Amino acid sequence: MSKPDKLQSAAEQLGPDGLSDLRSRAAKKFGATGFPTTRMEDWKYTDLSIASDISVAALQDFRTDLPPSYEIPDIDAHWLVISNGSPQVGSFSAIDGVEVSLLSEADVDLQFNLPLSDLNLALLSDGLRLTVDSGVNIDKPIGILFFDDADTESLVSQGRVIIDVSKSASVQVIEFHATRGDARKYANVFVDLNIGDNARVDYARLQARDPSAVQTARLSVAAGRDATLRHFALDTGGKLVRNDLAIDIAQTGANVDFNGLYLADAMQHVDNHTRVDHRVGPAHSNQEYRGIVKGRAVWNGKAVVHEGADGTDAQQANHNLLVAERAEINAKPELEIYAEDVKCSHGTTVGQLDENAVFYLRTRCLDEEQARRLMTHAFAMGVAHRCPIDACTAWVDAHVDAALNALITEDAE
Amino acid sequence: MLDIKNLSASVGGAEILHDLSLSVGTGEVHAIMGPNGSGKSTLAQVIAGRDDYDVTAGSVTLDGEDLLELDPEERAREGVFLGFQYPVEIPGVNNAYLLKAAVNAQRAHRGLDEIDVFEFLKLAKEKMALLGMDQKFLNRGVNEGFSGGEKKRNEILQMAMLEPRLAILDETDSGLDIDALKAVAHGVNALRSPERSIVLVTHYQRLLDYIQPDHVHVLSGGKIVRSGDKTLATELEERGYDWLKEAANG
Repeated sequence: MSKPDKLQSAAEQLGPDGLSDLRSRAAKKFGATGFPTTRMEDWKYTDLSIASDISVAALQDFRTDLPPSYEIPDIDAHWLVISNGSPQVGSFSAIDGVEVSLLSEADVDLQFNLPLSDLNLALLSDGLRLTVDSGVNIDKPIGILFFDDADTESLVSQGRVIIDVSKSASVQVIEFHATRGDARKYANVFVDLNIGDNARVDYARLQARDPSAVQTARLSVAAGRDATLRHFALDTGGKLVRNDLAIDIAQTGANVDFNGLYLADAMQHVDNHTRVDHRVGPAHSNQEYRGIVKGRAVWNGKAVVHEGADGTDAQQANHNLLVAERAEINAKPELEIYAEDVKCSHGTTVGQLDENAVFYLRTRCLDEEQARRLMTHAFAMGVAHRCPIDACTAWVDAHVDAALNALITEDAE
Repeated sequence: MLDIKNLSASVGGAEILHDLSLSVGTGEVHAIMGPNGSGKSTLAQVIAGRDDYDVTAGSVTLDGEDLLELDPEERAREGVFLGFQYPVEIPGVNNAYLLKAAVNAQRAHRGLDEIDVFEFLKLAKEKMALLGMDQKFLNRGVNEGFSGGEKKRNEILQMAMLEPRLAILDETDSGLDIDALKAVAHGVNALRSPERSIVLVTHYQRLLDYIQPDHVHVLSGGKIVRSGDKTLATELEERGYDWLKEAANG
């Protein structure tokens, strides 16, 4: 039996239900394209063969009856759990001003040129739709926990969430990724975030999967008129991680600020692709990603200012600290401007710690390791402090601290 | 206190200090003057332990202890302080955090417990008042966005907190307006003590109007070509350095 057949039969196994037809169409479409390959410009530096291998192994004996398993992070939030790809509806408690429902076929459709979305829909047991009522201000963050647990058998899991934030509402969302167990896991997650006119979303994507996990995740944002987005992404885990953030500005007055921090240890590969489409102006986008890299990392930031999007202000920055001889970063800023009267800039740096500063700190009694640790930490916190959700701050601080210490301490060995 | 004997040092194969000897007694203030490129900053950096320079001959001792054997942080903990000509900006490292970490590293070296937080703040505020520094500087990144004068005051603040045995102040007067110069000089003078030696490295005599040295040395071509009392500084201001260079070469 070839792999497309396995996919088709796994898709069937998940039904019959309201999504059966969609799964079948998606499986057929993915069967024809397969995973993106490094021959594609967007995937040049990230090889998904390992995701493909894990999928093949998982589909060999595909299971739809995995028991739920998860640990809620130590962050005060209304948690919604998706465990091994299945929304744990029974565990949800009501949130005032937010309607939570399972996806129906009317909510989603196949997308052009996104094979991973097809894979996601083919194997999606179910997804979530969150609707935030207009004008409300949700009291504490809504946390969406993607938790995968596999001890012995390879696991492939799909997550899909659609978040509609109605007009003038204000909400904080945490997208949290974690795992348990030693088996190989591949998670493929899609989140759509639609921000209504004059609404505000603070968003934190925190990824702390185990060092053998593979993740592909895409967050697509549509910003309404005068909408505000403050976004922060943290990646410390995963063997191979690819995140896409696509922001579409089709209404004037949008203000989006997205930042990220990635730590890539020797055996890790972390790829962040961002794209912001300015279709109208005035609107403002600003991004800064920072990386501390011992293994491999990719950052590709693209801003497209479409014809007529006058008054666009688009800023992007990416700074990388390489902490090992063999560390590798592929950093690529891209600006495409087809409008007049725009303010755009980009800057990328790749380097080591400033030795002059290390010496300065040593003359102030700090030993060399302490000096390097302090500077590396300061570099990381420079962007981690932009996490817009206060409820996450303590977790982010402690987690970055621990991850950095692990990264630097191994160095000393 | 500080004894430098027949010191030669080079960088990238080029010798910058040649057979330099200098002795600074306990409680004394010495000024080292000299034209640009004479090796003044190199001397300061070699004493502090910068490893970009190769010491090819000679010795540097502090109260008999060989400094050249020690790492920069060990020298600092032993009581050597270098005030930088160009203090380094370290974004994200909080000024108060660094001061406290520095004080505690030195205290640990002396076998003392960590400083009490309230005691630390009280001490820091006292020293800042002495230097006319606003307390907001405690919560800023180290030298981040500081003006030239603020950076130099911050150096003296660090010196005041660490209470070194030997302070080497490299071009502490450069880039300062007269008010900042007076504030810095006031801070340094307040730190003069019979137990502390201070070496002022400077190009101009101006600083010495405010901090009176006991001895003045002229460094040229990597060695000390003349030593005298503070009147030597006045003479240099009037005559420039060329006559000494000629004398040294002749």
